[in-house]
Amino acid sequence: MFENQKDVTGLISASYCWFRLEVLEMSERKIVVPGEKIAEGMIRMPGGYSEGGATYATLVGFIDETGRYVQLESRYTPMPDDIVVGMITDSRHAGYSVDLALPKEGFIPSRAVRITLELGDFIVARVRTIERDGVVELCEVRRLPKGKIVEFPSAKIPRLIGKKSSMLNVLRTNAGGDIVVGNNGYVWMSEKCDIPLLLKALEIIRTKAHKPGLTDAIAKFFQEQKR
Amino acid sequence: MAGLKDVKLIVDGKRLDGRTPTELRPIKMQVGVINEADGSAFIEWGNNKIICGVFGPRECIPKHEANPYRALVKCRYMMSPFASLEEHGKSGPSRRSIELSKVIRETFQNIILAEEFPNTEIDIYIDVLQADGGTRTASITVAALALANAGIPMKDMVTAIAVGKGGDELIVDLGKLEDNFGQSDMPLAFSARDKKILLVQMDGLLTREEIEKLLDMAEKGAEKVYAMQVDALKEYYLKDEETKFKL
Repeated sequence: MFENQKDVTGLISASYCWFRLEVLEMSERKIVVPGEKIAEGMIRMPGGYSEGGATYATLVGFIDETGRYVQLESRYTPMPDDIVVGMITDSRHAGYSVDLALPKEGFIPSRAVRITLELGDFIVARVRTIERDGVVELCEVRRLPKGKIVEFPSAKIPRLIGKKSSMLNVLRTNAGGDIVVGNNGYVWMSEKCDIPLLLKALEIIRTKAHKPGLTDAIAKFFQEQKR
Repeated sequence: MAGLKDVKLIVDGKRLDGRTPTELRPIKMQVGVINEADGSAFIEWGNNKIICGVFGPRECIPKHEANPYRALVKCRYMMSPFASLEEHGKSGPSRRSIELSKVIRETFQNIILAEEFPNTEIDIYIDVLQADGGTRTASITVAALALANAGIPMKDMVTAIAVGKGGDELIVDLGKLEDNFGQSDMPLAFSARDKKILLVQMDGLLTREEIEKLLDMAEKGAEKVYAMQVDALKEYYLKDEETKFKL
């Protein structure tokens, strides 16, 4: 389910693909602020704004060694087929409302679920459609067992998953329980996990998100902690 | 005004605080100072101390105000009771703080790509901890940093600076006394890349030629402030991994 997370459409993977090439240290990279030119010519790209024959950044980011613009801060905008984690906030006859860390609550129609959900349940689901008013309709809902949800910056979620879920696998094996990452920035962790340890690891990933070799560093961190 | 003639704003080509007419006050900026806000920044501009927190895009309240085509930009500028000698901030919003909230809001409405977030609102909260003239320009400068820190898409950075006339000379970055006893005061906000004017207000009288000169001086001053804004953002995002991370 999570292997395909980053290969949704060309547009999304363009914004997610910064972790594929990492050679330079962060301090050698050029930080870009809103309004700085990121490309010649009017190029449609996430976080870009075209005007007068050139493309300018709209968000803080950096230019990597291949000349690609990578966002450092962004707000999550839902796309169809995204995997999201949320919490049930309301249950009605027609369906359930879900907190997804978005301006509008998501919605699960009753016909999309066979299980009965209760207020406060954590769920993982796939985005089916986004309605005009911003309400996200979900499908393929799974209830998550007892655990905890924490918020993670959505711009750095790809790093938390890693190439072919490499980072996620490291976290899962070392924390002793299951972890589910939603594209919306909510990370669910099972109560079997060593949650304080996991939170420390998440903090490292958050603050060092753009360092090369982070997966190995996290594996090393767990080894040191276990000693 | 009483005492208008008493204050000599320019003595031997130097201003009251020893600056030359085009010199700015010392400016310090810091990004990401508040945990609970989506984006935040702090500025010390001379004796001004201003903190800004940004939330959103979040659900628009009251709901009937929501625009189905774009996000609403809201701004609340407030002076703390201890901000200055005058009675600012003692009993909630005043005529002055409502005006400043409005002009700051309208500055950013032109620069935020609000179409990306329909039916939502973006809140800018500005608190002036200490005021010493030029709080509206410092507020706009710090709010631009906080918005960038919050990940809200903007066409451009915004840089604001006040220019004016005091002691018969054209001056940049007016302090409190120059603001109160000078002949004229003109706060301006520019977009950093294409130097479009986003805010212009004027107090007092200026001739056409003086305004042209002042616009040039303001652009040069704004470039200096912009460089500092970029440095503040760079410092935050480069040190992000180096110093903030401690086990």
